[in-house]
Amino acid sequence: MHHDNGIWVSTEDLNREDSFLQSAEQEFAVENLDQTTGNWQTGRRDFLKLMGFGLGAATLAASCEIPVKKAIPYVTKPDEIVPGVANYFASSFVQGGDYCAVLVKTREGRPIKIEGNSLSSVTGGGTSARAQASVLSLYDNRRLQHAGKVNGGNVDMMEWAGLDREVKAKLAAGGNIRVITNSILSPTAKKALAEFTAKYPTASVVTYDPVSSSALLAANEQCFGAAVVPNYKFGDAKVIVSFGADFLGTWISPVEYAHAYAKNRKVAGKKGAKMSRHYQVESHMSMTGSNADNRVMIKPSEMGAAIVALYNAISGNSGGPALNDKAAAAIKKIAAELQGAKGKSLVVCGSNNVAEQVIVNKINDLLENVNKTVDFSAVSYQRQGDDRKVESLINDMNSGVIDVAIVWGANPAFDLPGDKFKAAFEKVGTRVSLNTVMDETTAMCTHAAPAHHILESWGDAEPKAGKLSLIQPTIAPLFKTRQAEHSLLEWADSTNLNRQDEQPYYQYLKSNWADTFFNRQSKYSTPAAFWDMSLHDGVFEYEAVSQNPAFNGNVDVNAVSKPGDSEVEISFYETVNIGNGQYAHNPWLQEMPDPVNRTVWGNYLSIPVEWDGKNINGWNNLEDGQNVDVEVNGQKITCTVVRTYGQAPGSVSIALGAGREKGGCGVGFGVNVNPVLQSAGGHTQYYAGATVTANGTIDEHYACVQHHHTMGVQGKQGDKTINADEAVLAYQGSLTDRSIIFQTNISDLQDLEEKLTEFHEETHHLNSQTLYPTNEEFFGTGLKWGMYVDLNSCIGCGACQVACVSENNVPVVGKKEVKRHHEMTWLRIDRYFYGDIENPKVVYQPMMCQHCDNAPCENVCPVNATNHSMEGINQMAYNRCIGTRYCANNCPYKVRRFNWLDYTTADVWPANEERVFHVEGDSTPYYADNLVRMVLNPDVTVRSRGVIEKCSFCVQRIQEGKLTAKREGRVIQDNDVRTACQTACPTGAIVFGNLNNPESEVSQATKNAGALAYKVLEEINVRPGVSYSAKITNSNEELFS
Amino acid sequence: MSQAVAPVRHILIEGNKSYHNITEDLVSPTEKAPSREWIIAFSLSAAFLALYVFCVTWTIWKGIGEWGLNRTINWAWDITNFVWWIGIGHAGTLISAILLLFRQRWRTGVNRAAEAMTIFAVICAGQFPLIHMGRLWLAFFIFPFPNSRGPLWPNFNSPLLWDVFAISTYFSVSLLFWYTGLVPDLATVRDRAKGFRKKMYTIFSFGWTGSAKHWQRWESLSLILAGISTPLVLSVHTIVSFDFATSVIPGWHTTIFPPYFVAGAVFSGFAMVQTLMVITRKVLNLKEYITINHIESMNKVIVLTGTIVGVAYLTELFIAWYSGYIYEQFAFYNRVFGIYWWSYFGMMFCNVVSPQVFWSRKIRRSVWWTFFLSIVINIGMWFERFVIIATTLARDYLPSSWSYYRPTMIEIGLFTGTLGLFFFCYLIFTRVAPVVAIAEVKSILKVAGNQFIGKNANKNGNGNH
Repeated sequence: MHHDNGIWVSTEDLNREDSFLQSAEQEFAVENLDQTTGNWQTGRRDFLKLMGFGLGAATLAASCEIPVKKAIPYVTKPDEIVPGVANYFASSFVQGGDYCAVLVKTREGRPIKIEGNSLSSVTGGGTSARAQASVLSLYDNRRLQHAGKVNGGNVDMMEWAGLDREVKAKLAAGGNIRVITNSILSPTAKKALAEFTAKYPTASVVTYDPVSSSALLAANEQCFGAAVVPNYKFGDAKVIVSFGADFLGTWISPVEYAHAYAKNRKVAGKKGAKMSRHYQVESHMSMTGSNADNRVMIKPSEMGAAIVALYNAISGNSGGPALNDKAAAAIKKIAAELQGAKGKSLVVCGSNNVAEQVIVNKINDLLENVNKTVDFSAVSYQRQGDDRKVESLINDMNSGVIDVAIVWGANPAFDLPGDKFKAAFEKVGTRVSLNTVMDETTAMCTHAAPAHHILESWGDAEPKAGKLSLIQPTIAPLFKTRQAEHSLLEWADSTNLNRQDEQPYYQYLKSNWADTFFNRQSKYSTPAAFWDMSLHDGVFEYEAVSQNPAFNGNVDVNAVSKPGDSEVEISFYETVNIGNGQYAHNPWLQEMPDPVNRTVWGNYLSIPVEWDGKNINGWNNLEDGQNVDVEVNGQKITCTVVRTYGQAPGSVSIALGAGREKGGCGVGFGVNVNPVLQSAGGHTQYYAGATVTANGTIDEHYACVQHHHTMGVQGKQGDKTINADEAVLAYQGSLTDRSIIFQTNISDLQDLEEKLTEFHEETHHLNSQTLYPTNEEFFGTGLKWGMYVDLNSCIGCGACQVACVSENNVPVVGKKEVKRHHEMTWLRIDRYFYGDIENPKVVYQPMMCQHCDNAPCENVCPVNATNHSMEGINQMAYNRCIGTRYCANNCPYKVRRFNWLDYTTADVWPANEERVFHVEGDSTPYYADNLVRMVLNPDVTVRSRGVIEKCSFCVQRIQEGKLTAKREGRVIQDNDVRTACQTACPTGAIVFGNLNNPESEVSQATKNAGALAYKVLEEINVRPGVSYSAKITNSNEELFS
Repeated sequence: MSQAVAPVRHILIEGNKSYHNITEDLVSPTEKAPSREWIIAFSLSAAFLALYVFCVTWTIWKGIGEWGLNRTINWAWDITNFVWWIGIGHAGTLISAILLLFRQRWRTGVNRAAEAMTIFAVICAGQFPLIHMGRLWLAFFIFPFPNSRGPLWPNFNSPLLWDVFAISTYFSVSLLFWYTGLVPDLATVRDRAKGFRKKMYTIFSFGWTGSAKHWQRWESLSLILAGISTPLVLSVHTIVSFDFATSVIPGWHTTIFPPYFVAGAVFSGFAMVQTLMVITRKVLNLKEYITINHIESMNKVIVLTGTIVGVAYLTELFIAWYSGYIYEQFAFYNRVFGIYWWSYFGMMFCNVVSPQVFWSRKIRRSVWWTFFLSIVINIGMWFERFVIIATTLARDYLPSSWSYYRPTMIEIGLFTGTLGLFFFCYLIFTRVAPVVAIAEVKSILKVAGNQFIGKNANKNGNGNH
């Protein structure tokens, strides 16, 4: 052992002492080896010990299933990804003609959240619920996962090359080819389509919109020489008249319009501020109508007569169909007002009747609005569909002259009106689908060439002339799908598509931008720089050639639709959430309540509410949730009734888009009404005569999140007007005196301000009568987070609600659970009717945790699971919560949500997942799917069964903002922290920030609103951190007098 | 026990009982084979107990979502049952503690059973705060124990935490009191028992010999425990009422709750004692110990507390109106005429109207009326708690969130299941311990036995012992 190299480790070593030598000898001794004999010395006890341990260890190891954790490190970490830090990519949300400029938030390479892109002059940073929810549809395992032949609802997998060969052979056969699409906003896609049609001269493109605006386009073509939607400038209009156009909710470009519209609606805090006045003429209470200052209710078939009445009143002409007296008198007054606002008014019409649209154009012309509020310099391309072309397509298919039909992003087998398409489509020999899911149309196709989801795609969009934006992929394709444009170019044997590239369509797009748009700007000198910056910003805008067309149309007051003679008429409308079914497979949108009806998961027949001087009844004494048979156009549909205030007498209405039969989670909810639609004059007509009969059954799962709808509606009792709502409750003062909603007409603004000033003084007095020290000193320094919600800007669109769901991992619970009032939404939009009971006004109130400084929930929690942060946030420690639910009981705002069941499948055992939301036909719950779970925000805990959760003021964003400010060594600013609801809002109704900073946006907004800013239930001394500003309308109070 | 002589003597023990008779009568039920009635009742209780176990398992396994609660009404049957059971428990403490201090002799006939009832009712009550939790497995968070989380303490401001202390204290003291009273009687049983039973009763009677020293200590302890229990009678239900009174919810946030709850608790407790006594005295043939006089005394308490409760109801309505506070006004308006009007009227009828018939001496002394009304009152008191909890929550501040509640089968099973649990315990109790306190009854024999007082007393003033 001793080395003679002079190295020693201890004095014992140096001196070669015995003890050292002995131990050095046995340095690697085996414990149980007898050092003298070399035999094993394993005693009986050792044997038993070892055996016991071995048996125990083996038993434990074998019986405990150790979960497999799939955390795989990057082999080569991409430069731009830092774990825990989000990346934002500018992109666009496009679905047919629906558009929104967005930023996509990605974490570790996964898109998880959509934000608005404020660089876009079209959407101005606002978003819609549809755009917000689009990220969820990316992670839908019902998406088609590979190309192939369609076989009984499945796709038999084929390699893309094989599919291309087959499709190309069919295309090359020389037969007629049709490409069926919804509106295409992408100039580069149109170029690809042009290459395709150039290669196959027998090919043509048929474009339609799921909810048609084809009469509007046809009328504009006739009147102004271009089949486009003009650039409606709602922001410049002082008087807005909408004939059934739901321009804030669904009509053409709602985010854009809402953004502009809201500018003239914000009056809180502005001295002498003027509001625009908005009249809505319609039969069912649309979301836009719910925001109107005055609604004129007509039966659906009276639309033409109403338009003509306005036209006659303005032009001094006469003739045309007669309108009911009440509406006619109102329209005369509207006409007078419009004439007083020439060039600063706007008349829009959602009707799908060419003659009516022509007259509306003429009205705008007479009012000198054309080229002002009806502008043609940046026209909108968001609706391009032509119903007449669809009709001829069906005829062509029926006659057997079409050999190949390619369906791209459209679902005609579901959303085309009538029932003719399916039979005709089957007569086409080769039917190719480029759709992303096995929808009704794809199921009928012979081949599926599934496209990427938009978040996996390259692309561009030109929603309005000169307003371009780019689409960039934010994740590698999840499945073996292919960009649709790539498929078309492939089939067209395009020489411009470099197939050797990793992303051929990217190169194609880039070179198209270099060729087409680089020249439109002078800021960047090289196409590469131009591309990089456009991609960075997401948008590229240039002045389109200005056009000033003159009105040149044929006004024929007798060509409009005639009032029907049917006792009851039904109208069909598009809802904010699921469109005409395009969004029906998105659970976030399905579970977002309809803004007006507050119903979820399906469509419901809205029936009028009647007041007999004593009681509020549904029409024909129908009750919510009763089933009725509706006979329309000779067909029968069975649907569920919801009583809807503001539904015109003699009319009922039902939403389009429900009752999907294939393709995802929307299957089985509601009833498909598209088959009963008919067209008139070549354009789909969205109303009809109907008979409604109760069939004696009820919908057991009728799901409506709000049971009480009114806040002091007025009704006649004999000669006097009484508070009808409270008359029903038989207790006056019970509702209207509650300090929940304050509203007034702008003419009485002063009164309200005085009343509120007095109210604030009184509440201040009441709230200061306490034995306990106030915590004002505590919150006076540092940060104090607060929110301001402008009820006048809130249009009820629900974008904030879906944004909140997306940001905060709020689970979807499904229809049955919503029926039991188990919805989990942290932010809801309460909707109250007030005013005339038969034609009420509406106020929307986004309601989330109020972050009370004297929070009733906090002191009742036995385990301190909910407590107050030093920054004024009422916070939840989920891990500490034992679920006594006292906090939820004691919350005056009822914003706390309890995890009644294992909604997120966080429990270890699956036995309790029976009632949890399952997509129809799935054996596992929705959230058990690992693909769906990819949408979860890693910054937010997924809550388990048995705990309470609620709005956190997006505390994860606050933390991030604070860190950013700290890292940059500065004071935190407004821009550092924006809540999800705030960024989603298209109208800027929600402002969030530090109340201790007098310069912050939220402090300013609250201060400016003055007395109009109030806290809900201010007098109960819970000291909320959220202020609301009173709802103010600019109604014409003489309209019906 | 106390030897002070009440000015008016009631006959509380009938049948010319000697001390030996008393021992025979009261110990024999623990020695005989169970009667057929007992077996039937026990099997039924066991079946409901099994149902209870099933429903609890189901709730814990599946989640509170198996109940009919929702985002607006987060408590309903669960906490209603809790308060109801806790209220029932109050009669036992009242009888054993307050009536002891007030020298009410008639308590000796019923105190043992009433105390037992208290224990079992508190056991039933204690189930609900546990099983209503979303995460029962973390229930230990509510105890203040040193821990490695900071340490993190519970929230001493929370009335739910006060509940934990109030109920656990109440349970421990009641149990102690009850058991202390049992010791001499268990010794009596022990002295008569043989074999295994003797061994068991030897252990449970703690070596009681009946020496004067034992009796002296026993009496002192009883008095001390009575002193401790007396404030508990008032405090426990006061604290339970704080579960509601400290909230901001109109209809809950009222200062009248503590006295109102205590009166209601005594009221319901006596009703439950009546229910049990009427059956027990019949089945175990104890009519000579639990006499009509006992029943009448308790009915007097019932009519008094029922009227107090009625005054509280009316005061609430008056104050709601008088406050001028719309939320409060609406809350009470809604109680009376709202969606759950039937439960309010049920409560009013059962609790306020029905006990008024006890002003009639004849009805007060009728076993059948007493039994019937005791059931009615228990139903009424259950309604009272349901009205306070579910009706109030269903219509609070924001009309947008108003909702409706219906129980599910699981919730119904849980409630009926605790009835099973209660009777299961009570029936076992009747088999293992004397249901009337032997020692205490003996102590009043000479001042309340029918052979000593009243018209038919033996002239020479002694019994046949």
